[in-house]
Amino acid sequence: MTTAAPPLTRQRAETSAARASQVWKVYGTGEAQVVALRGVDVELERGRFTAIMGPSGSGKSTLMHCLAGLDSVSRGQVFVGDTEVTGLSDAGLTRLRREKIGFIFQQFNLLPTLTAEENILLPLAIAGRKADPQWFKTVIETVGLGDRLGHRPSQLSGGQQQRVACARALVSRPEVVFADEPTGNLDSRSGAEVLGFLRRSVTEYGQTIVMVTHDAVAASYADRVIFLADGQIVAELTAPTPERVLDTLKSLDRPAPLGTDL
Amino acid sequence: MIKASLRGLLQRKLRLSLAVFAIVLSVAFLAGSLVLSDTLNARFTALFSTINQNVSVVVAAKDPQAVEPARLTDAQLRALSEVDGVKAVSPDVSAQGVIPFRATDGEPVSADAALGFGVDGNDDPLGLVELREGRWPTAEGEVTITAHTAELAKVKRGEQLKVYLPVLNEPRSFTVVGVAGYSGGRDSLAGEVVVMFQQAFAQQTFYGGTGLYGGASFAAEDGVSDDTLKQRIVEKLPAGFKALTGQESSEEQSAQVGVLFDVFKYILIGFAVVAGVVGIFLIFNTFNIIVAQRTRELALLRALGAGWGQVAGSVLLEALIVSLVGATVGLAAGIGVAAAGEAAITSQVELPAAGLVIAPLTVILAYLLGVVVTLIAAFVPAVRASSVPPVAAMRDVVRPDKSLTALSIVGAVFALPGIGLVLLGAFADLGGTAFLVLLGGAVLVFIGALLLSPLLARPIVRGLGALIGRGSAGNLGVRNAARNPRRTAVTAAAIIIGVTVIGMTATVVQSFKTSLEDIMGDNIGVEVMIQANVTAAPDGRQGFNPKALDQVRAIPGVKEAAAWHFDALGVSVAGQPQAFGIFATDVGQASRMFPFDATDGQIRTLAAQELVLDDNIAETLKLKAGDRTPVVIGGVTRDYTVVGVYQATPIIQGILVGEAAVADFPGPLAFQGFVSLNDGVDAAPVVEKIETIMKDYPGVQVGDRQSYVDQATASYDFLLIAVQILLLVALVIALLGILNTLVLSIVERTRELGLVRAVGLSRSGLVWMVTVESVLITVFGVFLGLALGVGLGAAFTKALMTLEFATVIAIPWLELGQYLLAAVVAGVLAAVIPARMAARLNVLDAISYE
Ligand SMILES: Nc1ncnc2c1ncn2[C@@H]1O[C@H](COP(=O)(O)OP(=O)(O)OP(=O)(O)O)[C@@H](O)[C@H]1O
Ligand SMILES: [Mg+2]
Repeated sequence: MTTAAPPLTRQRAETSAARASQVWKVYGTGEAQVVALRGVDVELERGRFTAIMGPSGSGKSTLMHCLAGLDSVSRGQVFVGDTEVTGLSDAGLTRLRREKIGFIFQQFNLLPTLTAEENILLPLAIAGRKADPQWFKTVIETVGLGDRLGHRPSQLSGGQQQRVACARALVSRPEVVFADEPTGNLDSRSGAEVLGFLRRSVTEYGQTIVMVTHDAVAASYADRVIFLADGQIVAELTAPTPERVLDTLKSLDRPAPLGTDL
Repeated sequence: MIKASLRGLLQRKLRLSLAVFAIVLSVAFLAGSLVLSDTLNARFTALFSTINQNVSVVVAAKDPQAVEPARLTDAQLRALSEVDGVKAVSPDVSAQGVIPFRATDGEPVSADAALGFGVDGNDDPLGLVELREGRWPTAEGEVTITAHTAELAKVKRGEQLKVYLPVLNEPRSFTVVGVAGYSGGRDSLAGEVVVMFQQAFAQQTFYGGTGLYGGASFAAEDGVSDDTLKQRIVEKLPAGFKALTGQESSEEQSAQVGVLFDVFKYILIGFAVVAGVVGIFLIFNTFNIIVAQRTRELALLRALGAGWGQVAGSVLLEALIVSLVGATVGLAAGIGVAAAGEAAITSQVELPAAGLVIAPLTVILAYLLGVVVTLIAAFVPAVRASSVPPVAAMRDVVRPDKSLTALSIVGAVFALPGIGLVLLGAFADLGGTAFLVLLGGAVLVFIGALLLSPLLARPIVRGLGALIGRGSAGNLGVRNAARNPRRTAVTAAAIIIGVTVIGMTATVVQSFKTSLEDIMGDNIGVEVMIQANVTAAPDGRQGFNPKALDQVRAIPGVKEAAAWHFDALGVSVAGQPQAFGIFATDVGQASRMFPFDATDGQIRTLAAQELVLDDNIAETLKLKAGDRTPVVIGGVTRDYTVVGVYQATPIIQGILVGEAAVADFPGPLAFQGFVSLNDGVDAAPVVEKIETIMKDYPGVQVGDRQSYVDQATASYDFLLIAVQILLLVALVIALLGILNTLVLSIVERTRELGLVRAVGLSRSGLVWMVTVESVLITVFGVFLGLALGVGLGAAFTKALMTLEFATVIAIPWLELGQYLLAAVVAGVLAAVIPARMAARLNVLDAISYE
C-alpha cells in the first residue's frame, strides 16, 4: 500500500506536525548508563502516517515518548506543531496533551468506570470542550462501534477496546496521534481492522499519525517507515511494502544482531 | 513458598506499611484508653491507701445512708480500744456537705467533696493530718481548716469563716484558729474541703448528742496483722457496724467516691470500644484491598504449581507477621499516648503517683484486635484469591463485581424485623419494655444497615455526586467512589457507626429540650423557680428551709410561693419501692401553678395520710380514688387514702402527699420552690432578691423559666458532648481509614491515573478527582448515619412521648449540619496525602506501571 499525494481535506501551513532535532536521551549515570537516543533528527510531516521500527531496545518507545512530551530529553529540542515541547512546565505539557496530542497505548487504554462513548469523549470532557457532532459521528462510523457505545471496556474484546482507543485519540482532532504498538496485543484480523482505520483517518481526514511497531505488515500501512538501531536512525523507507520492510530489517540485523550490546 | 511470601512482604512496602499503620492506629487507641483508665484507677486507689496508710482496721456503720445510721457510744468505743493489739484509735465524728462560704463574696465554695470533722484537740493519732499553724479547735465557735480550704475560702488564721452545717440546715460563723495539712506536705488529698470543729460541738451538731461517734480507725501494735486485729474487733463489734481492714476500706472508698473518675473511665472505655469496633473495619478493609490487589500475583503462583493451601497459607503468614508487628507497635504507642494523657490530667488534678498500669487484659485485647482481626480480615480474601483460576495471571484480571445479592438479603433479614421492632416500640403502648424492644430493634436495624450499605453506596454516592461532582475530573471522582460499593461502604462504616450514635443522641436531646420549652412556655403559672442541686438521692436533707419562703412572699409583686419537699430514699407505695420518690406540698396551691388534669377523684389540698398520683403510676400500682394503701416514708409505714389521679405530663408526674408528711421525711428541707408573680411583674429583679434570701443554702439555685429549662437539660448536654467526643475519635480513625483506602486505590489505579493525565487532565484536576472521591465516601457515611440516627432517635422520642417525657420530636438541624460540615472537612483532609501522591505520579511511569 503506497500513498498518493498529501490529502486535501485539511489544509495547513506546510510546517511539520512534530520535529526532533539532535535529541539525546541518557538513562542513569556511570556504570548503569544507557544511551537510548543518540542525536536523533526527525521530521514528521502533516497528514502522513509514519511508522517507527527497529530491534527491541533500539529506542523506539523512547523516541516516541520524547516526541509526545511524556519524557524529557537529555539534549536537543522537540517541537509539536509550532510549540517547543522541551522545557515546558507540567501545566504547559498538560495543555499540549489536551490540545495537540492523542495517544493509543498497547493495552489498558480505557478507564473501566466509563462506557465506550464516555471514554471516547474523555479528552474533550477534560478540556471542557464539546464534541463536533458531525465529526463524532464520522469517527464512530469509521471505527464501526455504533452498537457498542454504551458498553464498558470489560464488555468489549481487545480489538474493540483498541478501536475505542483510536476513536478517542482522533475525536479531538489532535495535531499528532502517537501509537505505541497499538496492534501488539491483537490477532491479525483485529489488528488489520485497527490499522485500516488509522490508515483511513490519514487518507480521508488528513490526520497525522506516528506508530511504533514490530510488525512488517503493520508498518506497510504507513506512508513512511523510520528504522532505529542503537538509538540512531539508520534507514528510512517511503511507500513501504511488507517485503521491503522485512528486507530492510534483515539488512539491519546483520551488522547488529538482536541481543548484542548496542 | 514461605520464602516467596517473605520476599513478597519486603517488595510491597507501601501497601504493607499502610496495613501496619491501620493496625497500629486501632490498637494504639484501644490500648491507650485502657492503660489510661487503669492508671487513673490505680492512682485513685493509691489516694485512699494514703488516707489509710497507718490504719489497720476501720469500724463504720453498716448502712451510712440510713435515716438514723448506727452510732458508737463512748463506752462502746472504749471497749473497742481495749481490744488486745490496738496501738492507737482515731474516733470518727464527721459529716458531708459541710460547706464553707468564701470570705470575699459570700458565695459557697464549690468542691466535689466538703467534709466536716470533730477533733479532740490532740494531734491525729494516726498521723495523717498535721497542724501547720495555730492550734486545734477547743471551743464551740472555733474551727481549724485544711490549707486547700483556706485557699478556696480565702481566709487566714484569726479571721471569721461562715460554714453551712448540714443537720442544722443553716450556716454559722466560726473563728479560724488553725490551718492543717496532710502528711507529705500536701494541701488536699483530691481537692476536697475540710473544716474541723471542736469534738463535742461536732457530735452535738452532726449526731444530735455528745459522746457519739460514727465509727473509728484503729492502728495495730507491731507484730499484730491487720486481719488478726480485724478478727478480734469483730468479736466485740456492736450491732449495726462493720469492720474492714485498711486495705478493704481503701478499695471500698475508692469504689464509692470515684464518681467523677467513673464518668471519666466510662468515657475512656467508650473510646476503647469505638476504637476497637472502628479498628476492626479499618483493618479488615485494608487487608481486603491489599490481598485483592495481589490476585494476579497469586494466580501466577497458582499457575506455577502452588496449591490452594499454599497460596492461602502465604497470605495468612504475611498477615500474621504484619499483624504481630502492628499490634506490638500499637501497644507501645498506646502506652505512650496513655502516659501523655496521664501527665495532662495529673497536671490538673492532684493524685498520688502510681506508675503506668498495663493490665494483662489490655495486652490480650490489643493482640486480639491486632492479630486475630487481621487474620480474619486476611482469611476471607485469601480464600477468594486462592480460588482464582491460574489463567487469571495470563490475562488482565477483570474482577467482576461480586454480586451484592446475598449480602443484601442477609442485611434485609436483620433490618426488616429490626424496623418492625422499632415501630412497635415507638408506637405501641408498651410502658417501660418499649425501650428494650426499641433497643433490640435499633441494634438489628443498625447491623442490617451496615450489611445493606454496599447496596446503598452506589445510588447514594451517585445522587450526592450529581451535586458536587461537577466537571469531568469531579465526574471521574464520583465514578471512582461508586465503582466498588463494598470498598466505599466498608471505608465509610466507621463514620456510619459514629454518626448514627451522635445523630440519635442529638435528636433525643433536642426533642427533650424542645418539649420542655414548649410546656414551660405555655401551661404553667410559675415565673421563678428555686431548685436544690444535688448529686445524691434527695431526702429532705438538701435544699432550703421552707420558712425562707415567708421572706419571698414579702417581696413586692410575688403572688404565691410554694415549697416542694422531695424524698427519693427508701420510699415505697402499695408495697412497691418508688425510685422516683414522693413529693410533699400544698397540692391545692400546686394545682393553681401547674396543669393538673384529674382523671379520677379530685386534686385538692391534702390532709395527713392522703395522696394523689399520676395515671401511669396509678395503673402500675392498680390504685384508684378512694383506695387505701400502705406508704413507707423515712422508715415509717402509714395507711394513705388515694384522693385523686391526674394525667401525667412531662413536667407534672409522680406521687404527691400533703405537707404534714414532711414530718416523716428524713430531713425538713424543701427541695424546690415555685414562685408566681402578679401580672406584669418583671421576673429578673425578683430572682435577684430571692437569690439573696437563698444565699445561706449552698447548692440552691434560683432562676426564671428559661434557666430552669437550661438546668433541666444540662445533664443531657453533657451526654451530648461526651458522645461528640466519641464521634471525634471515630472520625479521626475513619479519616485515616479513608486515607488508607484512597492510597491503596491510587496504587491500584496507577495506570488509569497515567492515562487520564496523558489525555490532558491537569495535576489540579487529579487532586480534585481524588478529593471528590474522598468527600463522597465521608458524606455517604454521614448521610446514612444521620438517616439511621435521626430515625432511631425519633423512634426513641416517640416512646418517650408515650410515657409523657416529651411532647414533640425535634430534629436538631443545626447540629446535623455541623456534623455534615465536619465530615466534608474530614473528607477533604483525608484526601490531601493521597491526592498529592496521585498528582506527583510521573505520567510515563504511571502508564508503564504494572
Ligand atoms: N527508564 C529507563 N531507565 C533506564 N533505561 C531505560 C529506561 N527506559 C528505557 N531504557 C533503555 O533504553 C533503551 C531503549 O528503550 P526503549 O523502550 O525505547 O526500546 P524499544 O525500542 O521501545 O524496545 P521494545 O521494542 O522492546 O519496546 C533500552 O536499552 C532500555 O533498556
Ligand atoms: Mg517499546
